[in-house]
Amino acid sequence: MDNTVLTYSPAPHLKANITTRKIMADVCIALLPACVMGVVYFGLKALLILALSLFSAVASEFIFLLAAKKPFREIVREFDLTSCVTGLLVGLTIGTNYPWYAPIFGSVFAVVVVKMLFGGTGKNIVNPAIVGRIFIFMSFQSVVGEWLAPSIGPLSGQSPATGATILTGILNGTPSPLSNWDLLLGTGLAGCIGETCKPALIAGGIYLAARKVINISYPVIYIAVTGLFSVCLSGFDFSVFLPSVLSGGLILGAIFMATDYTTTPDTAIGKILYFTMLGLLTAGLRYATKMETVSFAILLMNLLVPLIDRFIINKPFGYKRKKKEAENG
Amino acid sequence: MKTDYKKIAFDGVIASNPTLKLVLGTCPTLALTTLAMNGIGMGLAVTFVLICSNAIISCLRKVIPSEVRIPAFVLIIATFVTIVRLVLDKLLPDIYDSLGLYLPLIVVNCIILARAESFASKNTVLASACDGLFMGIGFTLALTVMGAVREILGAGAIFGFKLWDFQISFFSSSAGAFFTYAMFIMTFGIISSAIGKKKKIKAYELTRAALNGGTEQAENNAAFSSVNTCPAPISGATPIAAEQAQKISSGITGQAEKGQSQNGEKTQTQTIKEEEN
Repeated sequence: MDNTVLTYSPAPHLKANITTRKIMADVCIALLPACVMGVVYFGLKALLILALSLFSAVASEFIFLLAAKKPFREIVREFDLTSCVTGLLVGLTIGTNYPWYAPIFGSVFAVVVVKMLFGGTGKNIVNPAIVGRIFIFMSFQSVVGEWLAPSIGPLSGQSPATGATILTGILNGTPSPLSNWDLLLGTGLAGCIGETCKPALIAGGIYLAARKVINISYPVIYIAVTGLFSVCLSGFDFSVFLPSVLSGGLILGAIFMATDYTTTPDTAIGKILYFTMLGLLTAGLRYATKMETVSFAILLMNLLVPLIDRFIINKPFGYKRKKKEAENG
Repeated sequence: MKTDYKKIAFDGVIASNPTLKLVLGTCPTLALTTLAMNGIGMGLAVTFVLICSNAIISCLRKVIPSEVRIPAFVLIIATFVTIVRLVLDKLLPDIYDSLGLYLPLIVVNCIILARAESFASKNTVLASACDGLFMGIGFTLALTVMGAVREILGAGAIFGFKLWDFQISFFSSSAGAFFTYAMFIMTFGIISSAIGKKKKIKAYELTRAALNGGTEQAENNAAFSSVNTCPAPISGATPIAAEQAQKISSGITGQAEKGQSQNGEKTQTQTIKEEEN
């Protein structure tokens, strides 16, 4: 056939070889070290929780689309792995002491209510995984009680920190019973499956930055602002910086949840504002409520993203602001 | 003019259900539906106030000057709310305590003021009381079912009886209230629009059949007017029916069982023609 006919088409004219599925596959790969370390630390129960949340997230997306009368082959062709990421993140943000059905409820709520009901990938107003975590937290925390510590004890030889997380202790003014190395490696540190081993999370973050999926400076801004504002709130006690950065779900949230494309502002200035405000909110809310607030801070800021995008917009190339008529006349 | 009590009942409970269709009185709906029993208590209190205030306002509708009607309505409503409060405090102190602040707030409940303004001030006493009764029933039903769902999911119990230990506390919280409310409005909307569509199609068939009893031209127009095109002026024997058919046909969207309605139309036309002969 003759292909020389000129055709008109709307932008974009140049297509890069990047698809949502590839990006999400990268995120899944980046989450693997954290999953592996979670299973090493917390045993087979962690594997069960991760598998259940992953499976139920994917299954609920398929069932929703089938119920919406979409052909099965089309669903498989357009399946873009976002629900895999959501499922994994929901599993990583809960502890092994939760009942086995908790991750299922969280994943289904996250995928069906937060993502699919708003129109699918890229149309959600808040991060699905965050809402899934908050749903589980609100629903089952009172039943579950306190966090469990991993099976590997602290390197510094102290007793493992069961009960309230280290963070609560720090916020209440008692010094951390674990050394900063323990906090970094997560040994003896009570918490959810994914947040304990920080090197695994950081490795995932570096992988994502190397694959240019995320810009590593934004999570760094978030983490640094949180640490510095915690220092300010504690009356300029710089020994608080490392524990407040290394405890809780800050690194997990900063690298994998706050950087979700759909729920971050479009412009660079907007992003800097977004991540700075995230840091301020996280530290401030932590100080005010004496509990972990990373997920609530991200949820709150996700809702403010449309506002940021409305007021901070890129200046079009060659654009000059019109002078007011009063000045001309 | 004869009042259509069937229509009032249908409107109050389904077609314009105060909670799920008009979205009025959301404050008690969200705050009190943690337990099914609260829903019943609140619903019955509101129903009583609605019936009485509607009846009294309807009695006085020619006396109250329209400039000061809202203060007059509020005064009448407040009287009955005070009665309800005093009676509940004396007879059912448990329910009085669990309803708490929301009982005196019935005074400013939008449902009651809306019915006073839009129905009772224009209709007869009996019709207004009837409207109050069915609006109240609609409100009570919605609140009770919502309360039951939230109680089962959030506390694993119903009307205070423990069913199982499994509970999702999310549904007891205020965020769960908004979520459940949204789900209820969605489900109710789907169901009632399905019912409404069926009724519309039925009415459409009937009027078209009546219209086809008139002239040939009207028949042709009606047959093609199922899409939103406006038919040419109809010079038929039944101009009112034609007008109705036009209105209804523009209300039905798209392919509202075209073939089916045409079949029905044919048989009905035949019967009507036979009757005319």
